[in-house]
Amino acid sequence: MEYNGGSVVAMVGKDCVAIACDLRLGNQALGVSSNFPKIFPITDRIYLGMSGLATDLETLRERFRFRVNMYTIKEEREIEPQTFAHLVSSTLYEHRFGPYFIEPVIAGLSKTPSGDLKPFIAAADLIGCLNFAKDFVVSGTASAKIYGLAEALWEPDLEPEDLFETISQTLMNAVDRDAFSGWGCLVHVLTKDKVITRTLKSRMD
Amino acid sequence: MNVHNEIQHLKSGEVNLGTSIMAVQFAGGVIIGADSRTTTGSYIANRVTDKLTHVHDLIYCCRSGSAADTQAIADMVHYYLQMYTQSAGERPSVQVAASLFQKLCYENKDALSAGIIVAGWDKEVGPSVYNIPVGGGMFRQPWAIGGSGSTYVYGYCDSTYREGWGRDETIEFVKNTLALAMSRDGSSGGVIRMCVITEDGVERLFVPGNELPKFWEGKDLPGLVRLAKGTDIVPMAVEV
Amino acid sequence: MEILSYLNACGGHRLLTRIPPSFDMSVPSVHLASGFDFSNQIRNNFLAERGIPLPKATSTGTTIVGCLFKDGIVLGADTRATEGDIVADKNCEKIHYITENIRCCGAGTAADTEFTTAMISSNMELHALWTGRKPRVVTAMTMLKQTLFKYQGQIGAALVLGGVDSAGPHLFTIHPHGSTDKLPFVTMGSGSLAAMAVFESGWKPNMDRAEALQLVKDAIFAGIFNDLGSGSNVDACIITATSTEMLRNVEMPNQRAEKENKYEFKRGTTAWKKEEVRSLITSEQVTLIGVGDESMDTS
Repeated sequence: MEYNGGSVVAMVGKDCVAIACDLRLGNQALGVSSNFPKIFPITDRIYLGMSGLATDLETLRERFRFRVNMYTIKEEREIEPQTFAHLVSSTLYEHRFGPYFIEPVIAGLSKTPSGDLKPFIAAADLIGCLNFAKDFVVSGTASAKIYGLAEALWEPDLEPEDLFETISQTLMNAVDRDAFSGWGCLVHVLTKDKVITRTLKSRMD
Repeated sequence: MNVHNEIQHLKSGEVNLGTSIMAVQFAGGVIIGADSRTTTGSYIANRVTDKLTHVHDLIYCCRSGSAADTQAIADMVHYYLQMYTQSAGERPSVQVAASLFQKLCYENKDALSAGIIVAGWDKEVGPSVYNIPVGGGMFRQPWAIGGSGSTYVYGYCDSTYREGWGRDETIEFVKNTLALAMSRDGSSGGVIRMCVITEDGVERLFVPGNELPKFWEGKDLPGLVRLAKGTDIVPMAVEV
Repeated sequence: MEILSYLNACGGHRLLTRIPPSFDMSVPSVHLASGFDFSNQIRNNFLAERGIPLPKATSTGTTIVGCLFKDGIVLGADTRATEGDIVADKNCEKIHYITENIRCCGAGTAADTEFTTAMISSNMELHALWTGRKPRVVTAMTMLKQTLFKYQGQIGAALVLGGVDSAGPHLFTIHPHGSTDKLPFVTMGSGSLAAMAVFESGWKPNMDRAEALQLVKDAIFAGIFNDLGSGSNVDACIITATSTEMLRNVEMPNQRAEKENKYEFKRGTTAWKKEEVRSLITSEQVTLIGVGDESMDTS
């Protein structure tokens, strides 16, 4: 986890979800890049964040892309966030005895039978133990710090713009106290009709 | 031959049958017996364990060592003996059962920690007892003891055992031996379970923990202040 | 061509070793060969040698219990999941479904309890379909002990299995190495000592439903309040010959006090450098051609 550094957090709001990461890529204490996003779109309504070993992050990104594409072709429909969470979980558990050094975070909007969209977040440990939280999920080197801030700052039913402020402040203030995360942040807010992506200004030390 | 002095190496957290087990043959059958303690480290995971395991109608085994290993082995032997009965059309001899245990224990000796005593009755030789210690040897003996508690009672068994005992004398021998082993061995304890296996079937015997045979347990040291009969001991006051 | 893209997507030539002999190229599948994949192990050992340790997996510190009563079984569990000294999940579910009449509490490595019970649940369903009989608790117990024994304790699942079948109520503990015990009251996990103390002093034969549930709650409370690895709420499950009741969060003794004030940030607090908005609404403009002049012949 500390080899490349990095942190991810996701939060639930009112009919929306947000997911954010820092932008640092390090080689232990040495900062290598300040533009290394750790969140990727899986479908229009699912975003996957991963923190941990950068090489595994790239490997898994491609592997999930492959598996989701195969799913879409076979099922002739887009994958649901819950299904994708289980796909991530079983992919990681397959490597139970030689795991990928990755802790994934999933944020998405799932379709209810009535056609509405319901916020969904989940996280897993490196061997795929899912954690479906109703408020927020975290991962990465600053996870302990993010937990603390999120526990204090998060409120239920935040509107997209308010959720943006909460997740941004949570992540930024946490990574500023983490030597292995920081160097800029990336925030996505998923709502029913659009995805807002913002790059934040943060400390560079 | 040293068969009992190997220290049992268990993986950390593994459930251990600390154990005192025993089997003795007599004219009409065999008596098998065991304590009832299973431990994980210093915690007693089960205080009423049944270590006398059925593998065929008149063949039982006493298990010592790793609980997982011995259960797996006993389950396999149980399966093979059922298959044997179906294909051979007759009951297996105790020797067949013991050989199966021996084969499994010897061929997987690197992965197992299991000391097993097989005992039972068959029509070929009548009662018999086989000892299969850690490592996978196989020895027919008139009596066998096993498990961590057995080390404390070899002398007792050697000096007490006589040939030609009947059923009741043999039961007393097993009961006394196990009680002595359990009192000295910290990994053995609880109750005594015994089985009498004869041509006619299996009878189970049970000795509760508060009815174990008692032996010399020490006496009061001279010079200690003794309270007169009927004196109340008042506990120290505790502020709440 | 297909196999090539398959391999690239899976991370290249390293994976050649794990293509099963029966790999059928004509049926591309999202599912890989079943079983565990050890391909990262050499890399991870190398990393460990260089001083990069394996991150901590979620474990359920846990208090789980089971108790026999007059009409069946009561299972109980706390709801805390931990990652080292961090509480990873404050309200997780540790009572897993096996079949309608069998449930299983899990302690130890969270992913292991989750996946082993799911796998056995699936095999029990198939077994029930195949035999046409109501599944039995010993069947589940045997499946579990044989899988765990096969992995020699590497799968860190410590389980309490309970249920009622044609032979009556059954309660087992299954240790990670594959040993089992059958007892009238059982506890497992880091809080097992605290919970066992409650059972040893309070359990009696032939309790009624309410008594048994209260005893199970008390045992879990003992774990929640005295063991650091256990916490939050109590889950319970009552299984009798006629019904199975899952009582999720029957007791919630650790509710957070209502916040008196909110930390709401004024919009615009956070400065951002760049914004991109991706609209998910596809808008089309329809230009009608020749309306009114001539209607299309639809006859």
